[in-house]
Amino acid sequence: MGIPTVAVFSEADRGARHVAEADEAVAIGPAEALQSYLSIDALIDAARRSGADAVHPGYGFLSEKGGFADAVRDAGLTFVGPPGDVHRRMGDKKAARQLMAAAGVPVLPGYGGDDQSDTRLRAEAEAVGWPVMLKPSRGGGGKGMRVVRRSEDFAPELAASRREARAAFGDDAMVIERFVKRPRHVEVQVVADREGRTLALGERECSVQRRHQKVVEEAPSPALSPAQRAELCEAGMAAARAASYVNAGTVEFLLAPDGGFSFLEMNTRLQVEHPVTEAVTGIDLVRVQLEVAAGRPLPFVAGDVVSRGHALECRLYAEDPERDDLPSPGRILHLSEPAGPGIRVDSGLATGSEVTVHYDPLLAKVVTWGFDRREATERMRDALRRTVVLGVVTNLARLRAIVEHPAFEAGQLHTGFIDEHLRELSRAPCPPPEAVAALAAALSRSGGDSSRGSARAVPDPWGALGPWRLGEGA
Amino acid sequence: MTRLRCGDELFDPVVREKGHAFEVTLGERTYRFSLAAEGPGVFVLREAGRAVRFHVARKGTAVSLFWAGRVYELTEEREGTHPARRHEGGALEAPMPGRVVAVRAEPGQHVKKGEELLVVEAMKMENALRAPRDGVVRAVHVSAGEMAAPGRALVELETEE
Repeated sequence: MGIPTVAVFSEADRGARHVAEADEAVAIGPAEALQSYLSIDALIDAARRSGADAVHPGYGFLSEKGGFADAVRDAGLTFVGPPGDVHRRMGDKKAARQLMAAAGVPVLPGYGGDDQSDTRLRAEAEAVGWPVMLKPSRGGGGKGMRVVRRSEDFAPELAASRREARAAFGDDAMVIERFVKRPRHVEVQVVADREGRTLALGERECSVQRRHQKVVEEAPSPALSPAQRAELCEAGMAAARAASYVNAGTVEFLLAPDGGFSFLEMNTRLQVEHPVTEAVTGIDLVRVQLEVAAGRPLPFVAGDVVSRGHALECRLYAEDPERDDLPSPGRILHLSEPAGPGIRVDSGLATGSEVTVHYDPLLAKVVTWGFDRREATERMRDALRRTVVLGVVTNLARLRAIVEHPAFEAGQLHTGFIDEHLRELSRAPCPPPEAVAALAAALSRSGGDSSRGSARAVPDPWGALGPWRLGEGA
Repeated sequence: MTRLRCGDELFDPVVREKGHAFEVTLGERTYRFSLAAEGPGVFVLREAGRAVRFHVARKGTAVSLFWAGRVYELTEEREGTHPARRHEGGALEAPMPGRVVAVRAEPGQHVKKGEELLVVEAMKMENALRAPRDGVVRAVHVSAGEMAAPGRALVELETEE
């Protein structure tokens, strides 16, 4: 689009890949996110200093904060996303639930009223019937969410959920909903321009999760019939219209085993998993976001949107699946990302870069496209086999186990997939003897390779070299 | 030679290099293959029409190996961290071929057991050659920058009575 980019970075990200790839980069403060990536003042100041016209909030950090959208607008800049009041409306689960129910979007039986007394909540929970799900109204990321299975557990679970919600979100209002067993997570990608033209760009399924965080996503969902898909997309558009939505957003639904779906929440930003929609529709979602933010109409109409083939995304995290998904900070000593037809890697990694404890452990997203789900899955298996990250522990072995599992292949997904099938991930054994022999030979190798000059200063000579990729351009 | 530890298992490979060809003996078996470095940390093993690409990184004594789609974590147990081999006639020799990067000992110097005498760079690592016992340095036969081949006496050490 010919638009130069300005990246922002904290002290911890000085050497990060996004800093090197942007046209310009501006330091915004120390490693602590509160004083950098979560500091509205620092970000507005960086935008002003660099002469930027618009601010793209990305995902995470302030991307769904109405106050940030307002501050950007008040500074005379364009916010690439919906206005502040839309963020606030959908960020309050109680209000969003009421809005959706009024617009005819299916919601689960439950309660999201203003009377938040313990007695009222208990009475509503009894009316819904056990088990129920308790959700902080201002929540996100699974924090404070609890399943209450019996009446006698309600009081202590409510107290705990309120405590967590107060600590994490500064608000302890709750939503109660019927608990759905073995649900799937499906979501509709919507885009809307300022004139109110609203379109659905199909759905994604994100059922493979750990601790309410998505791990593997795909488009389209293998669970939906064409009729269900049309119905779901209609509901997504109705939700977006009810919210007076502008720009790209996602309406999340729970899909019950009986095929019924209900509104979960709306994400008022670009999603981490947006590349699978881009892969099947051929639409560059960030470009659409910029067009809409510039006041232009959507560059296509409903009839233009065609979904072709199947796409998968695997999230590579710096965490140890063998140790309760404990984050694993460290330095990337060696890196090789897959490339080839139908493979896209969105990565923040570079050899020598530091994975810090300050931010989310998401390292990279490996996306594959195929003519059908089977081809996309085979490409993913192949891509993951060629993804090499040494220096930090990653969830790569788990990702491979997921996409190689027969239940995944059969499309039999639900949000408890990992717990059901992969709770015990076999610990990596010792390498086979031939691999040890090869390793010993490699370690004994003297001279002849490019790393020699750097040997004396660093005991890990390969770690000191710049980024490079295997098979790039192949 | 480098020994490699993986959990409770200790591997003690014997590596012989002839040009690009390697013979590695591990326990009862000997593996013969050629090895090409494809890039930093990336190697291709070839034998009988078969090629395996693998990746290696190390930090200190920690070695990470990516082989056939899996990551393995091992620990190097290097000779260089142990007392240098004792040469006949009280001299020390290098345990592996390498370049001397530092000489810490002078003739006439009194040294304690474990004290660093020389630093030899080999396998892209610095390895300290340490005094195997208390003694007096009788002679130093190398200077910094020289290559040290196994079998060559580098430092002669006299035992104090």
